[in-house]
Amino acid sequence: MRHATTVPQKLYKVLIYVVCIILALLSIFPFWVMVVNATRNTYQIQANAVSLIPSSYLANNWKVLVGKSFNPLKGFINSMIISTCSTILTVYFSSLTAYGLVAYDWRLRQPFFSFIMAIMMIPAQVTSIGFYQFMYRINMTNNFLPLILPAVAAPTTVFFMRQYLLGTLNIDIINSGRIDGAGEFHIFNRIILPIMKPAIATQAIFSFVGSWNNLFMPMVLLTDSDKYTLPIMVSLLRGDFYKTEYGSIYLGLTLTVLPLFIIYFLLSKYIIAGVALGSVKE
Amino acid sequence: MKRIIALFLACLMIMSLALTGCGKKDDSKEGSNSSDKSDSGTKTETQEPVKEVEDDPNVKVLNIWSFTDEVPNMLKKYKDLNPDFNYEIKETIIATTEGAYQPALDQALAGGGSDAPDIYCVEAAFVLKYTQGDAHQYAAAYKDLGIDVDRLIEEAEIAPYTVEIGTNPNGQVVGLGYQATGGAFIYRRSLAIDTWGTDDPAVIKTKIGPGWDKFFEAAEELKAKGYAIVSGDGDIWHAVENSSDKGWVVDGKLTIDPKREEFLDLSKKLKDNNYHNDTQDWTDAWYADMKGVGDKPVFGFFGPAWLINYVMAEHCGGKAPGEGTYGDWAVCEPPIGFFWGGTWVLANKNTKIPKTVGKIIEWITLDSSETGLQYFWANGTLNGPGGTKDAVASGAVMKKSDGTLDFLGGQNMFDVFVPAGEFANGKNLTQYDETINGYWREQVREYTAGNKSREQAIADFKQQVADNLDVIVE
Amino acid sequence: MRRRKGISYAKYGYIFSIPFILVYLIFSLYPTLFTAVIGFTDFKGIGRTDFNFLDNPFQNFILILKNPSFQKSLGNTVLIWTLNFIPQILLALLLTAWFTSNRRKIRGQGIFKVLFYMPNIITAATIAILFSSLFGYPIGPINSLFQKLGLSKEPIYFLMNKSVARGIVAFIQFWMWYGYTMIVFIAGVLGINPELFEAAEIDGASSRQTFFRVTLPNIRTIMLFTLVTSLVGGLNMFDIPKLFQNGGPDNSTLTAAVFIYNQAFAGSYLYNRAAAASMIMFIIILICSATIFFILRDKDAVLQRKLEKKHKKALRKAEKEARRATV
Repeated sequence: MRHATTVPQKLYKVLIYVVCIILALLSIFPFWVMVVNATRNTYQIQANAVSLIPSSYLANNWKVLVGKSFNPLKGFINSMIISTCSTILTVYFSSLTAYGLVAYDWRLRQPFFSFIMAIMMIPAQVTSIGFYQFMYRINMTNNFLPLILPAVAAPTTVFFMRQYLLGTLNIDIINSGRIDGAGEFHIFNRIILPIMKPAIATQAIFSFVGSWNNLFMPMVLLTDSDKYTLPIMVSLLRGDFYKTEYGSIYLGLTLTVLPLFIIYFLLSKYIIAGVALGSVKE
Repeated sequence: MKRIIALFLACLMIMSLALTGCGKKDDSKEGSNSSDKSDSGTKTETQEPVKEVEDDPNVKVLNIWSFTDEVPNMLKKYKDLNPDFNYEIKETIIATTEGAYQPALDQALAGGGSDAPDIYCVEAAFVLKYTQGDAHQYAAAYKDLGIDVDRLIEEAEIAPYTVEIGTNPNGQVVGLGYQATGGAFIYRRSLAIDTWGTDDPAVIKTKIGPGWDKFFEAAEELKAKGYAIVSGDGDIWHAVENSSDKGWVVDGKLTIDPKREEFLDLSKKLKDNNYHNDTQDWTDAWYADMKGVGDKPVFGFFGPAWLINYVMAEHCGGKAPGEGTYGDWAVCEPPIGFFWGGTWVLANKNTKIPKTVGKIIEWITLDSSETGLQYFWANGTLNGPGGTKDAVASGAVMKKSDGTLDFLGGQNMFDVFVPAGEFANGKNLTQYDETINGYWREQVREYTAGNKSREQAIADFKQQVADNLDVIVE
Repeated sequence: MRRRKGISYAKYGYIFSIPFILVYLIFSLYPTLFTAVIGFTDFKGIGRTDFNFLDNPFQNFILILKNPSFQKSLGNTVLIWTLNFIPQILLALLLTAWFTSNRRKIRGQGIFKVLFYMPNIITAATIAILFSSLFGYPIGPINSLFQKLGLSKEPIYFLMNKSVARGIVAFIQFWMWYGYTMIVFIAGVLGINPELFEAAEIDGASSRQTFFRVTLPNIRTIMLFTLVTSLVGGLNMFDIPKLFQNGGPDNSTLTAAVFIYNQAFAGSYLYNRAAAASMIMFIIILICSATIFFILRDKDAVLQRKLEKKHKKALRKAEKEARRATV
């Protein structure tokens, strides 16, 4: 049986590689175009938006970028503060909530989980008008907190973490911790969090990318140029329609994506190894 | 599932309880707001020609809001020129892309406080909202800033359309610009010689105009030589739009001016007869036509001075005469007068430093001397010699400035742009223009592409306006 | 539960959930409610903070439901989401099957996994601009490719074609998200008890049989999660349709979220109508998600839970009766 299928099996394997390589090229393509455009000047880009061959205007574009009235380094730091804080809050509190949902037997556990599933369905955009009005009224504009604090309540992440814990959490670990006299918070911080590392890494990527690329809310909430994030600065380069510096925009986009890359590749070993999500029934 | 729904209903109840509380708070806030407004309302009722104003000595910061760094940079220059200007300039720049500038500016104006803008810039696409539309109540009359506006407008020879747009419903000037955006027809000299044996602007303007009939006669002659008269229908749109007698919305009702409706036929005629290359403005193919490498060589473009300096000169494929189409261009009067784009500078009615703000605004928009901003702007010397020359709002400044450009084969562009401003019409704008123009041009494209009948295109256009805007459609 | 012997840890369940609930109440619930309430008011125009409830509180809702553009945008949203989701989930499943198969070791699968998620890193604005210039007319990379290959003589105005425009938006969504879906699926498969696979192998099941009989049923929860999150994301699709063609051509890529945005910001500041439309969308999403939950619910588990409940009730009853009897 197995011998008979070797030839089609081999063909099938070739097919797999062909599909994977095409998909991989499709993934690299926009990044390549972006990096190449960072080395071209505005007029080359406007005449021919997509090119695979680099040009020689990288230094020029850099000059335009740093010659603006804002400081890209400052934007980088602001973006880092917002994205790092919100990512930490998301993964920590989502893990905590998920642990509370899995490890303890409490009366409102099932309703609370249903509640999380329900609010997962509320689209964020729908409420953005209300959110903005609210932040304006309580004087939270030009403040990073409205961009960071909401990260504590991330229903999707809680769901993911809960599934992970259902698959990996062993009640004996908790009990042995308790026998050693450790408090519940101590058990969570010292024993459970390390177990959750792969799930945390995966969710950290998703959450960091989302926060880093977020443009609309920061743009509306942060009007002080000292508080601008990197994506706001890049969008400012588009400024007036007849004076758009496309070369430096692409350079800015490339620089924006660079930290994401670094973080993504640092954490990607968990994506490669995979995270086991429990499918245990509720 | 029942549980989820039950829980949800419970939440809704809690929410509604919480809200009634919040609603009350809103009311009280509204009360204080309206009293603010009535205060400032009484201020403007004094109808003296020029008002003596004083600054609040405790304020040391000047807030400027803009969508590019153009005006903030002018303020820096002003600070350099006036060493006694001891305010800290706090600039807020939000791009108009992504649509974030207006919501943020609106909130800042409505919210007031020390972060509220003292000076703010608005673009032609939405200027009407801030001078005559929903947000006009925030704009200070130039007179109330101590500017002798009527005398200066005359002295500086500001084009009427700029003043019309910058005048609020009470007849006070609240905003003016620094750039002149009156439009011209910018054409290729070599194609003109090949077709008519001359490239003299005085002759060419009689070939392509006045009026669309002459324009299409010229298109036919150019076609015989294998040339397109324009790149796409977007090129003639700005001229059509601005030549109409009425704007899109009159007394809250959608109005299709016959001249704008005619755009359907003009566009169809261009497409059916192959008079253009069927490009869309701001796309790759449009830029290619500036370089002369499109499908057919394109004779000309409709545009103001900024189109020449910031767009065409960069896309012509060269930097000196003989390279690409550089130097092969000239400007003449268009078949129909129009303007396109521009920035208006407004001051907040509630500014604590009206005197300083007034001085700056006067320097930017009305100072026609050789130390005024516009003189630097026209001659390209704001940041040292050799900068980009541009048409400016003041005709008086343009008359004493040198507008010769190598790009135009040595022609002085101000010869055309000073009168161009006179023909532009500032009375047919509305605050909905950006959105409605988008819908209109899209439906015109559907019609000219043959996807729809003329009636259907108009009907769909009306439907889109009715669906998305608070405008009565009959 | 307190009746049980030993220390009760139940209170920690509450304590650990407090931060989530607090933040949710402040930052999400209030804005949601605010949005819900202004749907019933005359709140429109800028610089206003006051509003009154309408005489007919449902007026905005009726206006929106009757609005032809809104109806069209709903149809577009569902169509584009379906066009993106079906291929996306199929490809993600296929890749999951390939990458988790014990028999076929795909070399370089680590790199592939990492690369497939990458389109999600880049901002939507960049991708939208990239695709509109790719399909440029009359000059553009795809057009010149078509002409070189002899597929067309005249340049084609791709973006004037409604189906093409919708197809491109669906493709971009598909391409940006299949990697994410794949990562989540792989995570689900890795969580399946390995003994199940071993048993299947011993029984002589082919890889296809294993996939359909063992893998798929066991990642049902994860599939549910993917389906619901994708539905929520898909019905709120905004960035790409807005930035790609601004809902055009002729409203063919106008999604509900773009419609809502236009109500609020396209010139008339109809916050009340935008809020009403948002709430309608929310109800639609709720109904869709509920339907999915109902169809994909784990029937055995539900049954078991019901039995448990019954059992508990019976126990309590018995306890009560016993107590009464002793009194």
